[in-house]
Amino acid sequence: MKLGIRPLLAGLVLAAAGSTSSFAQDKLLIGAPLPVTGALSPEGTKLKQGYELWQDQVNAAGGIKVGDQQLKVELRYYDYQSATPRAIQLAEKLITDDKVNFLFSPFGSGATKATSAVAEKYGVPMIASSASSVEVFDQGYKNLFGVYTDNSTFSEPIAELVKTKLPDAKRVAILARNDLYPLSLANEFEKSAKKRGLEVVFFEKYAIGTLDHASALTQLRATNPDWIIVTGYINDLITVRKQAADLRISGSVFTLINGPAYQEWIDAVGPLAENVTTASWFHPVVKYQSDDVFGSSAKFVELFKQKYGSEPDFTQASGAAVGVVLQLAIERAGSTDHDKVRTELQKGGFKTFFGPISFAPSGIANSYVPPVLQIQNGKVEVVVPQEIATSEFRTAPQN
Amino acid sequence: MLWLQVFVNGLAVGGLYACIAVGFSLVWGVLSVINILHGSLIVLGGYLAFFAHQQWGINPLLFAPVAGAVLFVLGAGVQGLVINHVMARPFLITLLLTFGLNLFLDNSMLALFSADYRKVLLDPPLGVFDLGAIVVPADRIYATVIGLILIGLLALLLRTTQLGRAIIAVRMDRDAAALLGIDVRRTYAIAFGLGAFMAGCAGALLSVIFPISPVASAGYLGKAFVICVLGGLGSIPGAVLGGFALGIIESFGALFLGPEHAMTLAFLLLILLLAVRPSGLLGKRGFA
Amino acid sequence: MTLRLVLIAAATVLAIFGLAQADAYVIRLATIFGMYATLALSWNIIGGFAGYPSFATAAFFGLGAYITAVGQNAGLPLPVAVALSGAVAALFAGLLGTAILHLRGRYFAIASLVVAEVLRELTNSWTDVTGGGMGINLPLIDGSVIGQAQFYLVAMLSLAAIALAATIWLDRSRLGMALRCIAQNEDAAQIIGVDTRKAKTFGFMLSSLFVGFVGGVYASWVTYIDPTDVYDGALSIKPILMALLGGVGTIFGPLLGAFTYLALEELLWRNLLEFHAGILGLMVVLLVLFLPGGLSEIRGRGLFHLLTRRRQPS
Repeated sequence: MKLGIRPLLAGLVLAAAGSTSSFAQDKLLIGAPLPVTGALSPEGTKLKQGYELWQDQVNAAGGIKVGDQQLKVELRYYDYQSATPRAIQLAEKLITDDKVNFLFSPFGSGATKATSAVAEKYGVPMIASSASSVEVFDQGYKNLFGVYTDNSTFSEPIAELVKTKLPDAKRVAILARNDLYPLSLANEFEKSAKKRGLEVVFFEKYAIGTLDHASALTQLRATNPDWIIVTGYINDLITVRKQAADLRISGSVFTLINGPAYQEWIDAVGPLAENVTTASWFHPVVKYQSDDVFGSSAKFVELFKQKYGSEPDFTQASGAAVGVVLQLAIERAGSTDHDKVRTELQKGGFKTFFGPISFAPSGIANSYVPPVLQIQNGKVEVVVPQEIATSEFRTAPQN
Repeated sequence: MLWLQVFVNGLAVGGLYACIAVGFSLVWGVLSVINILHGSLIVLGGYLAFFAHQQWGINPLLFAPVAGAVLFVLGAGVQGLVINHVMARPFLITLLLTFGLNLFLDNSMLALFSADYRKVLLDPPLGVFDLGAIVVPADRIYATVIGLILIGLLALLLRTTQLGRAIIAVRMDRDAAALLGIDVRRTYAIAFGLGAFMAGCAGALLSVIFPISPVASAGYLGKAFVICVLGGLGSIPGAVLGGFALGIIESFGALFLGPEHAMTLAFLLLILLLAVRPSGLLGKRGFA
Repeated sequence: MTLRLVLIAAATVLAIFGLAQADAYVIRLATIFGMYATLALSWNIIGGFAGYPSFATAAFFGLGAYITAVGQNAGLPLPVAVALSGAVAALFAGLLGTAILHLRGRYFAIASLVVAEVLRELTNSWTDVTGGGMGINLPLIDGSVIGQAQFYLVAMLSLAAIALAATIWLDRSRLGMALRCIAQNEDAAQIIGVDTRKAKTFGFMLSSLFVGFVGGVYASWVTYIDPTDVYDGALSIKPILMALLGGVGTIFGPLLGAFTYLALEELLWRNLLEFHAGILGLMVVLLVLFLPGGLSEIRGRGLFHLLTRRRQPS
């Protein structure tokens, strides 16, 4: 046994090393580090669904047109186990070893920022599905393009909504997860609130992995706020919403980001979801006509429902969005050359199902208005902008 | 008033912490096994309660003993069929074994249930006890009370029954117990099963309070370590005391140092305790 | 004897530079191997020689990583930062040792396990210095892409070589003898005049010195670290698994174990997107149950005699 297993393992690792795929010309290879296991695995699953829907559509249509050639799309996934350093290593491995043509970013602002250094080092354009914090895009990198608009595009319209619909609301309390994106978002909310003359009476952070929020919320309650903003991820916000009710916290407006736009969040908090406001970069009611493989937002939603049996949320949509943006840029460039595709990405003006997408010089999208959402009768309704609103904004959450 | 509420918050979460830690402490005490699988078993108990509630509308608080019973069978089976084979080996071996089982169970739950966070929603909700100056969530009180009753029954079982005496005998001296005619392997299986039982109960009780996901298991395990070291390893009263102590310290830590540093105070105290009294608050000194 | 050592050293140097010419993937794997091997060799000093099953590897690794990260951001050159990482980790081990090294067996184990939890939380909440949960970036080193990869390869493999050299030295030294005595029977060791307290503390410090170095180099290598990653409990468990695979308390066992474990991990992870961790877990279970090779050696040597004396096979 002892003698048998070791040479066997040694042989296996050699086989693994040898199985490194060779790069073929008739396909486009895209590297996508995914958090399949670990804390971010819900989001990893969603992104993968988005990628694959796009891949199916492109390949069914014959592939990406590059000059007179058609390239089939092949995605190469590796699990970075929700560990950012692992994502960095994988990005490097995908570039140097798998020799991918382009990269999709890992999930979230933190991992995207860290990985963008690798993409920059090798000059490989990377499309970011889920990074919205300006801190990610302030490094002067030329190869990072994010399909999300920046965090102030959430805080500004919601603050404006509160200001106009609730002129009496004065006191704002903010509780933020001490993590790149949630903290950056919370800072934007603070700015937007102060800009409108509101008083920020509470601003605290909670550590990643906090199980119980009772103490923080007790202190928050003591400041008697009108508008309560909590940033974090879905598990944080499930617990926070429940504990806020347990502590009888009452405020006129509850803004929780990111979580309430996911159906799982609504299922998990039930009636407490009512009237919670949030925002996201995509919602199935948006009505864009597009030049991409989907043709329109409505068609995308329909195809998504066909494949997965549920309406797409913004993370699932962003997975497909990075695909169509890359495809449009390659087709316009008529080449898979990094420099040419990068130039097209910088030019922008892509009409996609996700919205019209152009990038600021920093690489962050700045070309569409993300919808403000409110949960009403257990459903996500759009309350702003007016053109696609499905319902009127309501105040006074049920507690 | 703020202080009183913060104190009550600490008590309310402390009871849940006690439930998290007791099974781990029992397995440690009786089998000398550091059970890395413990956090995953809690999550599995949570899923059982969630599905029982979804399918048959059973209240997870009442379902807790059933979830515990299912996990008892699983735990006793794992011990009997797998871990018992290496009980004579150094504890490092059993630890690695439970580490491997933990990787397997976590990944299996991820594959079976997905990582989406779920939560049991009671309809109607249990609400809160409003005592004027302070409010206490009813679900936490019920969960703590049920948890403490189950812990009490466990302690009673260990003290008063034939089985309990066998477990304690094996814990004190395995060889002597074997000479007395106690089936050591069976006793190990039952003791591990009881640890799993408490993990299952804890998972079911927590399912009405915290979201359930396979990725939560490491967090529960970490809490169990800390609580057990704080309260005294291998001791059931120690785990209960450690749970309440951690809850209250965390609660006041968040008040004094800000929510972001809630754990800092608890951990500084823990380091101090390790330096001056490593056996924990209720542990036996020099028991090695 | 000396000639043999010189030859081994020369062969090691040649092997490292030979490997550096390989392609990026092999270089990366070899770099990870260097890291794993150093961790396993380090653990072997305290866990194998002295028989004190430390679970604090993740704590020293994370500490080392953060010292280098914070040091570099404060303007320290990389070698200085890494040296500081090792020194701080060793110093911390010395302090920690006085608190927990008088515990034995699983009591020592669990006390050491908690240390990484504590440091992770403190790092998480000390945002001003560490960046908290947002993590911290490290400056890139100069040089071409392949040059950087070669640099980290040489750094990690050199650390492994130094850790190996330290192990060989320890095996022949008085300290090593003292540690082995402690592992055999600590009370008896004391009676025959071994200063067990001093020996254990030195062993613990020596072990964490290398872990601190590796943490520092790792941080610079990946250019970004966060608390969840560098204080990961798996970092405490993997080196033990490797040492057990190859042979606890032996000199070359941890190297062999590190290689085998890396091969297994890489193979599963490359080929199974969704279930690699589960299969790895299953393999660990099977190895523990059915591979008495490395494991039987432990019993043969009686290294864990102290822990097992009351539990004979039934």
